Amino acid sequence: MAGDKTGPLSGVRVADFSVHAAGPFAGLMLAELGAQVIKVESSARLDITRRPHTMYGKPPSSFEQVNANKFSVTLNLKESRAVELALELVRVSDMVLENFRPGVLERLGLGFDRLREVKKDLLMVSLSSNGQTGPERGYSGYAPMFAAAGGLGHLTGYPDGPPVELRHAMDHTGGVMGALCAVAALCGKSPSLDSINLNHGEVAEDRSLHLDVSVRDVATAFIGPALLDFAMNQREQAPQGNRNGAASPHGVYRCAGDDAWVSIAVTNPREWQGLCRALGDPSWAQEPCFGDGYQRWLHRDDLDRRVEAWTRERSPWEATDLLQAQGVAAFPSLSADQLMADPHLAARESFPEVSHPEKGRQRGVAPPWRFTETPARLDGWTPSLGEDNDAVFHGLLGIPLEEVRALQEAKVVW
Amino acid sequence: MIAGPYCGKLLASLGAEVVKVEPPTTGDLARRQGPFPGDVPHSERSGLFLYLNTGKNGVTLNLDDRHGSAVLHELAAVSDVLVHDRQPDRASAEGLDADSLGHSNPNLIVASVTPFGSWGPYAGYRAYDVNVFHAGGEGYLLPNGLALDTFPGRAPLAAGSQMGSYQGGLTAALGVVAAVYARSNGAPGQAVDCSMQEAQLSLGYVPIQRLEAEGVVEDRFSRYFRVGGTLPAQDGYVELLTLEPRQWEDLARLLDYPEWAAAEKFQNPGEYGPEINAHLREWSSSHTKEWLYREAQAHGVPFAPYYSPGEVFHSEQQRQRGFYEEVDHPSAGRFEYAGPPFRFGGVLDKPGRAPLLGEHNREVYGELGYSPIDIVELARSGVV
Repeated sequence: MAGDKTGPLSGVRVADFSVHAAGPFAGLMLAELGAQVIKVESSARLDITRRPHTMYGKPPSSFEQVNANKFSVTLNLKESRAVELALELVRVSDMVLENFRPGVLERLGLGFDRLREVKKDLLMVSLSSNGQTGPERGYSGYAPMFAAAGGLGHLTGYPDGPPVELRHAMDHTGGVMGALCAVAALCGKSPSLDSINLNHGEVAEDRSLHLDVSVRDVATAFIGPALLDFAMNQREQAPQGNRNGAASPHGVYRCAGDDAWVSIAVTNPREWQGLCRALGDPSWAQEPCFGDGYQRWLHRDDLDRRVEAWTRERSPWEATDLLQAQGVAAFPSLSADQLMADPHLAARESFPEVSHPEKGRQRGVAPPWRFTETPARLDGWTPSLGEDNDAVFHGLLGIPLEEVRALQEAKVVW
Repeated sequence: MIAGPYCGKLLASLGAEVVKVEPPTTGDLARRQGPFPGDVPHSERSGLFLYLNTGKNGVTLNLDDRHGSAVLHELAAVSDVLVHDRQPDRASAEGLDADSLGHSNPNLIVASVTPFGSWGPYAGYRAYDVNVFHAGGEGYLLPNGLALDTFPGRAPLAAGSQMGSYQGGLTAALGVVAAVYARSNGAPGQAVDCSMQEAQLSLGYVPIQRLEAEGVVEDRFSRYFRVGGTLPAQDGYVELLTLEPRQWEDLARLLDYPEWAAAEKFQNPGEYGPEINAHLREWSSSHTKEWLYREAQAHGVPFAPYYSPGEVFHSEQQRQRGFYEEVDHPSAGRFEYAGPPFRFGGVLDKPGRAPLLGEHNREVYGELGYSPIDIVELARSGVV
């Protein structure tokens, strides 16, 4: 479909030192956009995505997509020769991506100040739990903790229940923010660009730039209006379940079938009339207690019960079709198997098949954009550990193959 | 409402000059939604609008009007990027489709961020945040842990604060900036189609991969931290997640090595998870969340408190990073806003405030060649 066109970041090379989820997802976004992302890993400490998961105990195949489209090299960074090779790789790359805890790269001899000695116009993107500065910079965390400390967790949940942990998607959202900063900075460095006016000014005479993304701050950025409610009115907003503001009906309703649900949202009179038509103009809808938006909000529990009495008789898709035909926002709550069988996503080729010489063929999730001129792609599956050692150390850095072998023997390239 | 405006806000915070185009008189629907200072509704004082439109200039333009459409094309001719959130039928009616805009400016990048994308069987389906979140797979999988234990029979849950819309806007912003970069390397203008459902799929790919690689369909009950997760504290809730054996050893040290926290039990969460969690919940509920956070982190254990918006607002960590920015608005007043979640080594300017409705009509349309008298005429005929 995309023909010979290349992605928007074609020609950009990324030295990717990131592990686990948020950083690698930033790398995945860049790789899907056409950048050459070289993932630096080591047998000395395998990325968690290459090990069975402590909680799931599952084979790592289920976590593979996050490293798709990338190249893999191995460097045992406890060896000084490996650190030298890492510096060589940085020198020939357009940016460095990492998500270690602040201070770890410095200890390895690969901190920002060291890297910019070898590369004057270094662009480095650091993702971390809490950022590179501040009293909690050294705290450890995973996705649910960013959302918890950032306030998004508090606002997620049933109104009368405990907060809800957000999962990988929170990590990955931080990764997208990191990728956004990285590409914006690339734009700022491009002399031919006159549109996005990133002014690097006097900050770095050597033109190096360290981008510091705090994933906890990403979670907080997503609750900006609730924070303004606190600043304006000293009000502590509470979780609303599937409801939102003062609209009703607005929720997820049980349908016929096992664990089958449909989301419905009505926010104005036109949609309310559409809902009434879809439900066959029931007499209860004419009662004064549902007479206007405010009344419907006051009697929302009663209204939800009546709507659910209707959805319980139907499958999620039957309810969706009847409601959408009347201009009402409705959609099933879809599980993975339903998503992978969905005709809309099939029409949009949202699950492209990728193949790997050893791993065979498998479907992945497509990049989340459709560009008409510079297509993003998922076209290479996760590389095996160190699969590209020869291509990178020999082909790119010019190290003789026999020396690469010796470095492998010595557990430097390892 | 959220996704498109958040995309524009991010671009503004990265240094782009962003002009927000609103319908005359009513403006963006977000202006009608709270929070409002003192809970008094006012179209210039909506916290939702004020937050999502920091750093933008604002003009009004009636896209349903033929003259309005002509002005739109003039604006497009001098812009690098046009971002909109209209579903396909509405986009064509308002002249926002990439084909017609491309005639005015072949270098224009036209990005749409819509629930199901600009084409495909569901492209015209109506959807709000709750629908999009449940359409993307993550909704079906929430909640887990304590909330699921407490209410196992309830409906699956969308994330709070309309998270899916922010994720859609963020994903679209990355697509836009990538297209801008491509253009600086010689690519022409183009359309960038962002489906918020696909943004959800991309961010939440794990259950898709588990199905594809293992044949397992995850649900709320199977996707569950066997050990830790959300725990009750004396004064709220905390989150604990130990993914590395070392972290569990550190936790055992913090707990002073009770028998139930033995390493071999942790290594077998399938069998011992419920027992461990019962003990963990009992232990955590006798401490404050702040004590748990500080003590656990001092022991190297990944722990975090569930902070309310007010606690977040007073967070020492974020305060010291300068995360909050004071924004003065002529109608709403002066408040501290959450700032961008990134630091560019000090090279980016502060983003500024949200515009008043039509505040920059004279300036922006003046640059297009309209005299003040022309603009009064356009206003009189309802175009701006």
